[in-house]
Amino acid sequence: MMKRWALLAAAALLLAGCGGGTSKFHIVAGSEEKTFEPIVKQFCEDQGVECTIDYKGSLDIGLMLAGGEAPDVDAVWPASSLWLDMYDTHRRVKDLKSVASSPVILGVRMSKARTLGWIGRPVKMDDILKAVNDGQLAFLMTSATQSNSGASAYLTMLAAAFGTPDRLDPRALDDPAAQAKVKALLKGVSRGSGSSGWLAELYLAGAKAGHPYDAMWNYEAVLKETNDSLRQNGGELLYAVYPADGVSYADAPLGYVDHGQDKSAKDFFDKLQQHMLSAEIQQKIADLGRRTALGMAKPAPAEKDWNFDPARLIPSIALPEPKVIARALTLYQEALRKPSLTALCLDFSGSMSGDGETQLKAAINTLFNPAQASQNLIQWTPADRILILPFDSHVRTVVQGDGSVASQERLNQAVAAEEADDGTDMYDCAERALKEMKPYLDTNQYLPAIVIMTDGKSDAHEGFDDAWRAEGHFVPIFGVTFGDADATDLDALAELTRSRVFDGRANLTEAFRSVRGYN
Amino acid sequence: MSLSRRSMVGLGVLGASVAVTGGVVLMRDNPAVRGILGDVTALRGYAGGEKMAFIQNPKTIDALKRFGLALDAERAGSVEMSRDPQLLATKPQFLWPSSSPLVELARRYSKILKDQVIFNSPIVIYSWTPFADGLVRAGLAKKSGAHYFIVDAKGLIEAVLARKAWKDLGAQDLYGTIRMISTDPNKSNSGFMFAGLAANLLVGDVVSESNLQTVLPTVVELFRGMGYKPDSSGKVFDDYIASGPGASPLVVGYENQLVEWIIADPDRWQRVVSAGGPAQPVAMYPTPTVYSAHPLLAIDPAANRLIDALTSPELQSIGWRDHGFRGPIGSIGADTDPLIRGRMPTQISAVSPMPDIDTMLKILQALA
Repeated sequence: MMKRWALLAAAALLLAGCGGGTSKFHIVAGSEEKTFEPIVKQFCEDQGVECTIDYKGSLDIGLMLAGGEAPDVDAVWPASSLWLDMYDTHRRVKDLKSVASSPVILGVRMSKARTLGWIGRPVKMDDILKAVNDGQLAFLMTSATQSNSGASAYLTMLAAAFGTPDRLDPRALDDPAAQAKVKALLKGVSRGSGSSGWLAELYLAGAKAGHPYDAMWNYEAVLKETNDSLRQNGGELLYAVYPADGVSYADAPLGYVDHGQDKSAKDFFDKLQQHMLSAEIQQKIADLGRRTALGMAKPAPAEKDWNFDPARLIPSIALPEPKVIARALTLYQEALRKPSLTALCLDFSGSMSGDGETQLKAAINTLFNPAQASQNLIQWTPADRILILPFDSHVRTVVQGDGSVASQERLNQAVAAEEADDGTDMYDCAERALKEMKPYLDTNQYLPAIVIMTDGKSDAHEGFDDAWRAEGHFVPIFGVTFGDADATDLDALAELTRSRVFDGRANLTEAFRSVRGYN
Repeated sequence: MSLSRRSMVGLGVLGASVAVTGGVVLMRDNPAVRGILGDVTALRGYAGGEKMAFIQNPKTIDALKRFGLALDAERAGSVEMSRDPQLLATKPQFLWPSSSPLVELARRYSKILKDQVIFNSPIVIYSWTPFADGLVRAGLAKKSGAHYFIVDAKGLIEAVLARKAWKDLGAQDLYGTIRMISTDPNKSNSGFMFAGLAANLLVGDVVSESNLQTVLPTVVELFRGMGYKPDSSGKVFDDYIASGPGASPLVVGYENQLVEWIIADPDRWQRVVSAGGPAQPVAMYPTPTVYSAHPLLAIDPAANRLIDALTSPELQSIGWRDHGFRGPIGSIGADTDPLIRGRMPTQISAVSPMPDIDTMLKILQALA
C-alpha cells in the first residue's frame, strides 16, 4: 500500500512539473459581453493568467471557426449558439455553457413610443411595420448578416411576416408576401452596424449631439445599459417594446476551442467557466440586467418607467435548422435589406505609390469580387448604388455604378487604372461625395455611407463640419487608415458623423470588409 | 457527432485516487502506474450521455472497484453506438444505450453475449408551474403528487399540432402558442423515444408497420414544427434550465434529469424554491408513457461481470439516490433524497411498449 501511494505521489509531482500552468489565454467574444470584461480580467489576474479578449461580430466568430485550420483562440463567447450551430462544422468548440441570456427587443424613445400609443400595451410586428410605413418610425439595427442582434430581429420579422410568429417556418423564405413585408420593415433602418455594442454607443452619440434616433433593436440588457447612461446624462429614455409575437434570445455560450494547445489551457477554461457560473458571479451578471439560468440569481429589479423587466416571461420563436437560417441570411443580404448608397474616397496621393497602391487595388478587387464578398455575406446587389472617387489634392473623377456583377467589374477596373500622384485632400472628396449622393439621399431609400481610405495627413479644409451639418442627411463618414496615416482627422470626422475608423494597416482588405458590415 | 467531440471519461479508479485529474491519460500509459490497478479490470465501451454523471460519480467508481471493475466509457448517442460502423470498429467490450428497441438493432451489427436492463427512466415532459396549471384548467393535465402532473399527452400533441394559443385552452394569462421541443430523434434517444410514444398515442395502440402510415405524416409535422432540435438530451435539458419558461415552455426529457439536477446542487435548488414566482420547474408524466430502459449489452465475456455489478443493491442504490434512475422493473429505491420527495410517482401506472425496431427505423427515416 505504501509503495502504491509513493508511486502516485511521484506521478502527481511529475505532472505538476510538466503542466506548468497557462500563462496566456485568448478569448474571442461578442461585443455585448464587453460588460463582463472586468469580471473575467479579475479572475485571470487572481489565477496568474494573462487573458486577452478580442471582440468580434457573430459572423466573424463563425467564419473564424469554419476555416480549414483551428484558430489560435482558447475560448469563444459569441452572442448566441446559433452561429456555432451554423459555422462550427468541425466541432472545434467544446463544453459550451450558456452564461446568461437576453432577448432582442425594440427600444423606442419615450416620446415616440407615447406618440405611437405603445406605452403599456402589447405591440406586434404589424404595429411596428405600420409605424415604419407611415413614416413615423426609423430604427438602428445591426446588420443581420454580421451581428446576432440584427439577425435575431430580422428572423423574428420574417416569422411574423409569414403569419407564424411563434416559429420561423422555412416556407416563409419563399413567400413573396412575407418577403415584401420584411423588406418594408427594413426600410425603417436609419443606421446599421456590425456590432451591437457599437450600436448602443451610436444611440448615445445621437442623443448627446441633440439628434436622438427614434429607436434601436438590441438586447434587453444592452437597452438597460443604454438607459443607465441616458439617465446620467439627462437624456430621454428608451421604452422597452417586447414584440408580442415572440422574440429571439441570445444565450451567450462560453466554449473551449481545441487547437491542440497545452492541457493546462483546458483546466483554466474549466475554472473560468465554473467561476462565471458560480452563484456570486451570476448574481453580478443578473444585476447588470441579463437573465440567468434557473436558481442561479435574483433577476435585476423591474424598472417600470421604461417597461424593463428581466423576470417577465416572453415567448421565444422556434428557429429552424442552421442551413435554413443560413439561407435566410443570404436572402437578407441579396434581397430584403435596405440598399446601400456607398461612396468610396480612395487616396491616390503620391505617398501611396508602390506597395500602398498595390494593396489598395487588391482590397478593392476583393470588395468587388462577388464570390469572395458572398463568403463574408457582404455581397452587393443591383439595388445598391456605389460611387468611386479617387482623390489626391482634389477629386480626380467620380465613377458611378450599382452592385450588379457587370458594374462591379467596371468599378474595379476604374480603380485599377489609377496611379498614385500629388497631394491629399480628403475633405474635398467627402464634400464632393455628399454632392454626388444628394439625389439618392433625397429618396430616403438607401442606407448611406462615405468611406475615406487615406494614408496621410490631409490638407486643412475650413468649414467642412458646417457643410456636413447643413446637408441634413447626417451621412456617416467612415475612415480606413493606411501606412503612416495620422488618424486625428479621420477620428474627428468619425466623431462628427457618428461613425468609426478602421485600422487598415495590418490588413486593408479586412478593414474594407468591416466597413461594409456597417453599411 | 464526430469522434473528436466525445469526451473521454472513465479511467475512474485513477481519477478517484489521485486528485490530479489532468494526468489521468498520461499515467494510464505508464505501465508502472497501471500496475497499481492490481486486479481491477478496465472495461471499454460506449454509454449514452445521460449516464455520464452516474459513471463519473466517485461513489460509483469506488463501488465498481470493489467488484474489481473500472469503467472506461465514452459518450455516444444510443442509435449511433448500436449501428455506426466507425464506433463499432473500435471493438467496444460493452454498449450501454438508453432504449430497449436498440438491443434488437445492436444485435444486427454486433454479437451480443448478454443483455440486461440496469436502469429505467420514464419519458416526461418538463414544463413550468404556470403552463402546467394552464393545462390543468384546460382539462389536459391533473396534478398528481405534491409537485408533479399527469398529462394527456395525446391531447397536448394535438393542441401543439393545431398551433393553439395558451389562451385558446383557457389559460388567459399565458402568452403565445403552445410549443414543445425534443432532441433530434435520429441522433438522440429521448427524441427517439418520444417519436415512438407520439406515434403510439396517435394510433391509440402500439404502432406497427401495418398502421404506421396513418399517423406518420402527423408525427413528421409534429417534429418539423419544433424547428431546430439539439442532438443530445443533456443539451435540451440544459437549455430548458438556462433559458427558462419563455424560451422553453415544454421540453421532452427523462424523469431522472430534473432529479439529478436538484441533487447535484442543493443550494441552487434552495434558491429556486425560495424565489417562488413563475420559475418553478415541474415534470409532467404522459399516460401512458414509455420507459427509457438502459440495457447493458455485453460484447466481450469480461463485460458479463459488469452486469452483475451494476444490478447489485449497492450500485442500484447509487443510481437512484444520486441520479434518480429507477431499477430494472421501474421501482424507486428505498433511500430517497428529501429534496426530491413528492416529485415523482412511486410507480408509473401506465407504460406502453416502444414500437418494434423496424417500425422505429421507418419513423426515423421519415424524420431525417
